[in-house]
Amino acid sequence: MGSMNVKQMVEQRIGDMEVLPNVVMKLLSFTDDDDHSLKDVVAVIQNDPSLTTSVLRVANSAAYAPRTAVTTLSRAIVMLGEKMVTGIAIGSCLSHMYNDSLDGYESVKGEFWNHSLRSAIAAKQISGYALKDIQGDFAFTAGLLHDIGKSVISDFLIGSSEMLRNWLESGQVEDFIQAERNLLGTDHAEVGYAISVKWGLPEILCDVIKYHHQPGQAPEEERGVLYTVHLGDMVAQLGGSGTGSDNLAYKIDENYKDYINIDERNLDLVFLQVQDEFWGIKSEIFSSDRN
Amino acid sequence: MATLIVGVGECKVSNKNGDKIRALTLGSCVSVIAFDPKNHVAGILNIALPDSSINKKRVTEHPGMFANTGIPLLLRMMTKSGYDGKSELIIKLAGGSTILDSNQTFNIGKRNILAARKALHTVNLKPEAEDVSDNYSRTVSIDVVTGIVIVSSPGKGQWDL
Repeated sequence: MGSMNVKQMVEQRIGDMEVLPNVVMKLLSFTDDDDHSLKDVVAVIQNDPSLTTSVLRVANSAAYAPRTAVTTLSRAIVMLGEKMVTGIAIGSCLSHMYNDSLDGYESVKGEFWNHSLRSAIAAKQISGYALKDIQGDFAFTAGLLHDIGKSVISDFLIGSSEMLRNWLESGQVEDFIQAERNLLGTDHAEVGYAISVKWGLPEILCDVIKYHHQPGQAPEEERGVLYTVHLGDMVAQLGGSGTGSDNLAYKIDENYKDYINIDERNLDLVFLQVQDEFWGIKSEIFSSDRN
Repeated sequence: MATLIVGVGECKVSNKNGDKIRALTLGSCVSVIAFDPKNHVAGILNIALPDSSINKKRVTEHPGMFANTGIPLLLRMMTKSGYDGKSELIIKLAGGSTILDSNQTFNIGKRNILAARKALHTVNLKPEAEDVSDNYSRTVSIDVVTGIVIVSSPGKGQWDL
């Protein structure tokens, strides 16, 4: 099978994907737009009864332990924050994607979601160390979506994990992105970018997905958030939430120091905070009845 | 007969025939694996960070999170399950993976390995075997009866430690 053939098959698979549910699209558009109110968010969510149930369930869960039962969407959204509500919408509406195994990466069911969620939490924490102001909520959403390309490319990698790992260890390739590209003629960042364009995501989210392993190649004005997600991805992998055979098989772009000021002690604190937040919310989003 | 899963910052110990203890997908975390062959007590401590001084409050809630407070926890739990404190205790280390970072800030794995060895040294223990560092994740398990430790990694298969 030539690499062009595989690339064409990947493109066909992307073309066959369903469009992003309108509710998710609308919530994602808010992440890049300060000019919206709580009322706007409520209006989007209340049109989706299943998502409304999920949001109220999370708000009433042990992780948030409200003193009185949360019965209205507006109170739930204020309590959870828009970041978490968007996360619930992505996890709930795209659960078929995130909650599946990534067989081509030898990654079992649940690991893809754990990696995405831990990356999102870590990106938000790291945004606090950015030299220029970066919205933590945006970093969270970008972290949640950065690896969506793996959901499509995984099937084309089945049976090749050992070979790709050997390429890495023998120095034939520098990292797993290059290994994917050598084998398939494309990689999960490029495929993720194609998916994000098909879905019509905001341009900056598309670029985060495209450049998350090469943040220095992104337009200068986007690099702050790119490095934030790049490091969030690394923190998730180091924390044990990878996606199987590619875990830790990437390089940190050392130019992050021009955008993020973090030392060993603060990184340890980030690890601790990420672990706490991850324990608190990881099960809540996916215990939805959509699974 | 059960498989006990050890999460990040947790410590699990067993003396039950047929039990296995397993730590999943270790990245920079270091698993300290202990086995008492005389009394058949086994344990795994899953260290996430080298030193508890960064957040002393967490020591009370999760002493297993840090190397300096986790090793004493492991020994207390082993003793509670039948280790007599005098007979041979086999210690092995796994994990502490790295990621390619030229300025080393993100090399938490290496700092965890060094801190685990140091904390073991303070209680006169030394690892008999190690499978640490490198840039891949590991799952590690120990059989409570035999003390056999198995390490596995996606794309690399599995092997004895």
